Amino acid sequence: MPVSTPVVPGTASPVPGAPPGRRRPARSARSGGPALPYLLLLPATVVLGAMLAWPLVRLVLLSVREFGLAQQFGQPAAFVGLDNYARILDDPQFWAVLGRTVAFCGVTVALTMVLGTLVALLMDALGRGLRLLVGIGLMLAWAMPPVSATIVWQWVFDTRYGLVNYLLTASGAGDFRGHSWLADPVSFVAVAALVVVWMGVPFVAFTLYAGLTQVPREVLEAAQIDGAGPWRRFRSVTVPYLRPLLAILTALSVLWNFRVFTPVYVLQAAGGSARDTNLVGVFAYRISIGENRFDVGAAVAVVMVVLTLALTAVYLRQMARQEDV
Amino acid sequence: MRPVPAGAAVATAALLLAACGSAADATGTGGSSPDGGTEAGGQTVRLWLNGEDTPQEMVDYAVAEFEAAHPGVTVEFERQQWTGLVEKLTTSLSSNDSPDVVELGNTQAQAFEAAGALHDLTDKKEELGGDDLLTSLVEAGTYDDRFYGVPYYAGARVVFYRTDHFEEAGLEVPTTLEEFQAAGAALKQANADVPGYSGIFFPGKYWYAALPFVWESGGEIAVQDGDTWDAQLSSPGSVEGLRQVQQIMATASGAPVDGDESQDYLAFCNGEVGMLMGPGWKIGQIVNEDDGCPELEGSIGAFPLPGSEPGTTAPAFLGGSNLAVSAGSEDPELAYELVKVLTSDGYQEQFAELGLLPAKVSLLEGVGGSEAAEAQAAAAANSRFVPSSERWAGVEASTVLPDMLVAIAGGADVEAEAARADEAIEALLNG
Repeated sequence: MPVSTPVVPGTASPVPGAPPGRRRPARSARSGGPALPYLLLLPATVVLGAMLAWPLVRLVLLSVREFGLAQQFGQPAAFVGLDNYARILDDPQFWAVLGRTVAFCGVTVALTMVLGTLVALLMDALGRGLRLLVGIGLMLAWAMPPVSATIVWQWVFDTRYGLVNYLLTASGAGDFRGHSWLADPVSFVAVAALVVVWMGVPFVAFTLYAGLTQVPREVLEAAQIDGAGPWRRFRSVTVPYLRPLLAILTALSVLWNFRVFTPVYVLQAAGGSARDTNLVGVFAYRISIGENRFDVGAAVAVVMVVLTLALTAVYLRQMARQEDV
Repeated sequence: MRPVPAGAAVATAALLLAACGSAADATGTGGSSPDGGTEAGGQTVRLWLNGEDTPQEMVDYAVAEFEAAHPGVTVEFERQQWTGLVEKLTTSLSSNDSPDVVELGNTQAQAFEAAGALHDLTDKKEELGGDDLLTSLVEAGTYDDRFYGVPYYAGARVVFYRTDHFEEAGLEVPTTLEEFQAAGAALKQANADVPGYSGIFFPGKYWYAALPFVWESGGEIAVQDGDTWDAQLSSPGSVEGLRQVQQIMATASGAPVDGDESQDYLAFCNGEVGMLMGPGWKIGQIVNEDDGCPELEGSIGAFPLPGSEPGTTAPAFLGGSNLAVSAGSEDPELAYELVKVLTSDGYQEQFAELGLLPAKVSLLEGVGGSEAAEAQAAAAANSRFVPSSERWAGVEASTVLPDMLVAIAGGADVEAEAARADEAIEALLNG
């Protein structure tokens, strides 16, 4: 296989090499009519503006007014400036919820990514039949509506009739009859994290598996001939190829897991103490819908949006930088 | 957020049973006009009732009565779910497509009255029954001395018990709270071989059942002092009641410390429960043929929760519903005519047969026939209600009370937990 050696340096150049060739005609078009590209962008901008920007603007407007049930029924909504923000920033509960949410997000994203990558590597290594089987399993887990998935897990961990307590007791690990997994905030959050990771792994695994099929076999073989072990090949060949995918998947998982709602809300109805297990999504819901403080709830939501942007910006910037190199 | 019988969302099976005769045609949205041909140019009145608490045959009865009295008017009936009802009412009552007559849980009503979502019915109060209406439901329906929510039905919790378990353990029906607690502990000991057995099934989140103990020992949730609310859970009386609850949970209950009461009938049917506190219709849920245990029918008794002295009852939490005319109704007079049918004696008497209490004192005498119904009527005679504030819905939504009880069930210090809950309740009620 002498052919494989020159391919390694070669793979780097075609990628950055290609765009300049394509860019040239675009430049000449711009000199022809400067308004045209903007005109062409207009329809998409209008649609995006109506669908995304307007609700966000409404949210921000809501967060600086007094808006409760009475305002919903027609009374004027007074402008209160940043009062609603001051109220939540003063609330120790808000900070507790926020800290819990960030920790929850970090742990679940890390677990989802690691497990997702492992499953993708497994699928890559498996034969056709078994890969199909794993794929179907993942697809079923992914297709399950979050409420149903959470309720099934809640049954598994049920205090009186749950499978986990039964198996632990039967296997002699101790007397777990009547043990409540949701009563303790730490094990409550662990169960919620399990549900979130379980629901998040399929998407990561599928996407990374698709990415893995694009890693050139020649390069891996060349690395193997050069004496790189499996871990070295994974780190130095596979991961660089997958890096853009990994960055996007991590950013998306952060987005999803930061505003996780259903598993926490459903589990809180089953057990545990809401006070000690609220995450920011549920917290905002309880304030807006439960207490009818739509204004304060909107302020929490705005803070959430800003934080999510900040968290994902780090990854997106990193990704952009990698493309420049 | 849900009132007691409303908590019946899960108990639908029981009430469906009662309505079994006509269950086949209970298609859910039975907008009906019996004579069919009157729709052209006719007016419609939109009626929303919740859950399965009102069975379809009662709805059909009311629709027929109303349409007979108002030819050309059609009632458009829609059944709503208790879960998520406040959200749904918040958006629909403020839209220009508002229903005309709605049912509200009695703990939810005040928020909508204060917001101006409902039509003022103060001058109709006498005509609807005046002093004959159940006082605590009238309270729920009144805001700022104006009357908006018309009492619809009520329910109070009673104690259901296994007569065979009582016999085996040689116990009598308790006549005081102390005996009640002792009987629970004795049952638990006598059935120690049954894993997770509860002499008294008392899960941690069951705050409706904890309130009678607080009230009986002289406590309160909160009292109004001028314009501000003063939370009372850490007052000596309340703490005493909560300690009693903690003791029952520790000595007599085998229920999950962080669970709620929604599945209690399953534990009861599994033979894991000696006594449980539940609304009058609970018996129907226990013996329902779908996932209940009809074979136990002969060995279930009921009594009102006793007070601290023999011959008295502890104050029961009165749950129930109110009817209201939407402020956005196009024809409030016509909508009111429908409310009148729904509160008429002929209609209300049918509630008694279902294990719910009619909304008028004069009709309570008609409640009877079963031990559960009689126990409920006795319990309702001495009943109390949550603080009457438009912000109360927020207290329920924030889960302060269940959170406090879960901690107490887990063995936490009662005074510290009560003080913590008081702080949260005051913040919520005083805005």
